[in-house]
Amino acid sequence: MASADKPINTDVPEKDVFALHFLQSLSNLRRQNTFNSPEKTNDRVKKIKKAAYVSMARAAGGTNRLWSRALLRRAAKENNKIVRFPRRKKRVTCLRRRSNRRDPVEEEEAERLRNLVPGGGGMGTSKLMEETAHYIKCLSMQVKVMQCLVDGLAPK
Amino acid sequence: MDLTGLKWLQQHQQMVSPEFLQILGSDGREELRKVESYLGNNIYDTIDGCISRTSSFQMEPVKNNEENRVIALGNKRKPEGKRETIEKKKKIKAEDETESSMKENSNMSNTETSSEFLKQDYIHVRARRGEATDRHSLAERARREKISKKMKCLRDIVPGCNKVTGKAGMLDEIINYVQSLQQQVEFLSMKLSFVNPELEFHINELSSMMVDSRSFPLHQQGSLDYSVINSNQTTSLNALKIETSSNWDVHSQCLYNNLRTDSVSSFFSLK
Repeated sequence: MASADKPINTDVPEKDVFALHFLQSLSNLRRQNTFNSPEKTNDRVKKIKKAAYVSMARAAGGTNRLWSRALLRRAAKENNKIVRFPRRKKRVTCLRRRSNRRDPVEEEEAERLRNLVPGGGGMGTSKLMEETAHYIKCLSMQVKVMQCLVDGLAPK
Repeated sequence: MDLTGLKWLQQHQQMVSPEFLQILGSDGREELRKVESYLGNNIYDTIDGCISRTSSFQMEPVKNNEENRVIALGNKRKPEGKRETIEKKKKIKAEDETESSMKENSNMSNTETSSEFLKQDYIHVRARRGEATDRHSLAERARREKISKKMKCLRDIVPGCNKVTGKAGMLDEIINYVQSLQQQVEFLSMKLSFVNPELEFHINELSSMMVDSRSFPLHQQGSLDYSVINSNQTTSLNALKIETSSNWDVHSQCLYNNLRTDSVSSFFSLK
């Protein structure tokens, strides 16, 4: 009889929180001067995409989730900003990277998953599963928000 | 040494220790034997009874003499005939027992101390019959169970994985789903940038979103979020007035007068 740990929590805030953060980040974007040039569509697309991810990370996890922290850190590095996170109570998990907790059979696919999910390299397999679940939920929420926006703006 | 003393012993049922017998001396033993024959082995019976009565616990010798390590027994365990379960804590060694009768008989007093260990915060794993009980394999099994529990959670989230069984196929599905979601985000951001190159987000979009989705908390009075959106909107208004193209000015006037979705759509169709 394996005693269960505390139940796995994959709660995600409502759609409105995501929408709010996304709109805020977009309005921040349009304050930048470089945005009004319509020629560089690729840059614009990239900026919107980055804004989407960052707003999603802020809306959903804040600094409580490993993937959101990794995302925000990566985005800040691109902007050459330094991001500081408050210290968590638990000790840092990257110390456990070298331990032999990984089953070689399932490790190939777990490797692919690690490349997809931000921050996946430093997690054990079980933690990776939790983060993936939460990440999937947040991603689907963000997609819904963006779809609503596009539908609202699209010419009928 | 007279008989009355021995009779008193018998009547009061005191334990006869070997030291006492030594005190009696060898002569006493002979006399004891005489008494024994006289009383018909009654003394020894009573002596045995005394010993059994004064002991606090019973112990029967363990017939299964493979290992004689400390047994950690659970209190709530029912003796099961066919399926043997052993409860193991990670800091106490476990003993492999195949006979269940021994467990029934041994009420050792050290179960009291072992129950205190149970209350600590260890991971309790049950080893089934025929499986290895060394620490590493049990830890492996606990870890695998954890991962499979989380995979079950993921199954509920990822759509369309009812047909797939096993970890490998499940992981494939998950990877495909994450990839598709990320591609959707990229596609939608591209669409957004084309649909609205100037990125004008005003109350119109918010109201349209309210129509599409559930109630927006922004429309509550006095909420901080609403004021933030308001300030953004005013800045965008100022930015619009600086706009050089006259087309945009005309259209933006219509935009701010009407707050309906259809006006937004007409505005965009005029482009």
